[in-house]
Amino acid sequence: MTAFRALLISELKIFSRDRMAMFFTLLFPLVFILIFGFLMRGIGDVDQARLGILFTSETDGQSLMQTIEEAGSMDLSFFESQEELEDAVAARTIDFGMHWDGSGLQFFYDANRVQENFAFEQVARGIATEFDFRRQAVTRVLPIEEVHVGTIQSIGWYNLVLPGILAFSVLSAGLFAVSGHLTQMKQRNILDRLIVTPMPPMALLSAIVVIRLGVVFISTLITLGVGIAVFGLQFEVDWFRFVIFVICATLGTMGMGTIIALLVRRPSSASSLANVLAMVMMFFAGIYFPIEFMPAFLRSVGKGLPLTHMANAMRYVTGVIEMSELEFWAITFSLLGFAIVLFPVLARYVVRPLRR
Amino acid sequence: MKDILLIARAHIATAVRERVTLFWFLIFPVFLLTILTLIFGQIGEEGEISFDITLLNRDRSPSAETPFSDMIESVFRELATAQDEATQPLFVLHTPEEDADLEGFLESELTELRRGRRAAVLVIPEGFNDTVMGSLIEDSAEIATSSEVGEIDSLRIFMSDTSVSSEYATQIIQQILTEIDRRILIQSGRFSPDRAVSSETHWIGRQDGETPYVDYVLPGIILMGFFMNGLFGVPGTILFSRDRKVLRRYWVTPLSVLRYLAGFGLGHLTLCGLQFSLLFLLGVYAFGATINFAALDTVLLLVLAAVTFMAFGFLIASLAKTANAGMATANILNIPMMFLSGMFFPTSGLPAFIMVIVYANPVSYLLEGLRRSVGVQNSTIMPSIWIVIVPLLWILLSSLVTSRRLKWDVER
Repeated sequence: MTAFRALLISELKIFSRDRMAMFFTLLFPLVFILIFGFLMRGIGDVDQARLGILFTSETDGQSLMQTIEEAGSMDLSFFESQEELEDAVAARTIDFGMHWDGSGLQFFYDANRVQENFAFEQVARGIATEFDFRRQAVTRVLPIEEVHVGTIQSIGWYNLVLPGILAFSVLSAGLFAVSGHLTQMKQRNILDRLIVTPMPPMALLSAIVVIRLGVVFISTLITLGVGIAVFGLQFEVDWFRFVIFVICATLGTMGMGTIIALLVRRPSSASSLANVLAMVMMFFAGIYFPIEFMPAFLRSVGKGLPLTHMANAMRYVTGVIEMSELEFWAITFSLLGFAIVLFPVLARYVVRPLRR
Repeated sequence: MKDILLIARAHIATAVRERVTLFWFLIFPVFLLTILTLIFGQIGEEGEISFDITLLNRDRSPSAETPFSDMIESVFRELATAQDEATQPLFVLHTPEEDADLEGFLESELTELRRGRRAAVLVIPEGFNDTVMGSLIEDSAEIATSSEVGEIDSLRIFMSDTSVSSEYATQIIQQILTEIDRRILIQSGRFSPDRAVSSETHWIGRQDGETPYVDYVLPGIILMGFFMNGLFGVPGTILFSRDRKVLRRYWVTPLSVLRYLAGFGLGHLTLCGLQFSLLFLLGVYAFGATINFAALDTVLLLVLAAVTFMAFGFLIASLAKTANAGMATANILNIPMMFLSGMFFPTSGLPAFIMVIVYANPVSYLLEGLRRSVGVQNSTIMPSIWIVIVPLLWILLSSLVTSRRLKWDVER
């Protein structure tokens, strides 16, 4: 216990003096969420689309305007000629254009806005259909009601992304925490000196784990708080499950990181390998891009990755998605299981001097 | 000249032998191009994407005179059948068993929807056929208005706000139902297809339709490859070679720093050429990219990009005291510079204080220039001249700092 306490204090001092580690664990997730928050906050929000309108006939113009106004709170601007309208689309001063000549509707899109046109086309299609019905004075005969289910209604895409980023931060911090630190200790011959003392290998690993666990936990809280404060995101955090999950996930990913420490010798290699693993997992786990649009075989790959389940569990504990209790606890305890199994087994192989 | 070529060869060999370097320079861009094209290249394309939806028809009445519910069900069943073996059906349809408890089935399917395992649940209520028939006979203009939908037997589309696929599936279901609606109105003689408004789509900037996603994303991925090569490869090679005293061994030979730089630059440009070739061939032959990089201005922009990022790498190498600090700096700059350039998401709606980074970022200019030169960008957020001037300014600044600050040997 004395050894553990001494190691705990020394690890705390090492971490507080390591500005780079502080930056990557505490500030880097913030940089991530600030950049992606501003980039992604308008995604899929076609209500704010800018529609350019050109009327070359007054026939049914009022009816068309009424249809457009009912389609959503779009920003409307009017043009005198088709050339002006096309120029505005090309210059992106408007998102898409519409020309009514009395008999037909023409819609104009920038061919290169490949990420956004799908949403604009949906709006245009809706306007054309409704106008068509209105013009012939008929109403729909199929009554349709859209019912939104879920715990938090009408949330934006970024509400889903932020818990994913939290899970990703836990994963990358966990993967690197043990592997990077131990390989660094080996390289600087610090481990050689500790090994010759009666220190049990598990005491060293436990000291590293406790300090990094605290830091990761604080980091997730700061990131979540900034997301709420800056972007006005809504979360219904289940604090009991949140705390348990972050602890288990950090321990589990640190366990995975111990495997990296076993495989590589240099801190730079540990960092690179941890980076590569985290980055590959990030894309397949649907952190930034919806996993649902991947081909079936890639979705299967995604389902096999721990990060996919970590992200879903983090979304669950922040109240963004629903999940069965069984699934949540299965994910949480599986991660804890990784740590319980891997730490003692690997401690004797990892906490030893560099092979020369 | 031989010494320059030897340095270039050594630089290429080092990059190729280092597995992590190889991953970031070659495998990661290839991986990203593949995954982005697979995800975004097929949005809205039939046969490439499939949604798990549930259909609960509670008004199944074979003897009914007006089987609108059966009509809707048959349309969805048809859409849940694959056209051929190579394509996926639009929907994977979940329906209750013959003797199933419908309330229990609906409850469990809504739970599946909330948990993200269904994209939408469509419920045709009891009495639906009579409602539709009633609205056709009475010509009731108000019957389907949103204010009253709760009081009549409406079709209910249950969707989840927390799933992107649910949003897409709901939009598609709405379109299908609108088309069925139209058919019913035509058959009942209330809607004349001859008087229907024609609707045309025009694409600005391209004659033959929307730019394929791979054409749009390929220039960005190529530039990202060059960027990572410069950002990580240059300081990595220079600083690790310096810290491990590899450079010191060069300096005891007649090799000058300038000739070393020439060899290093040649090797770096060759690596960029290798990256470009691999990504271009993958884009064209695996994903059907149609853009042409053979124009002179495009080639010059690619060379300018490779040189700018190499100079930027030297700038980082000059400012970092150790190799690890250099790599950490590169890591810190990587995400903001890459994402705040418009490479993956549009930057036009960002707040002013973030737009400052976009405008100072050389990647923004080079990306815009490259996209415009290959014809996948019409508009511009910055004047054309700046596309060349800003990267040149970065080269100048980096060269100045490098010439003053970069230490070519470890301190004794």
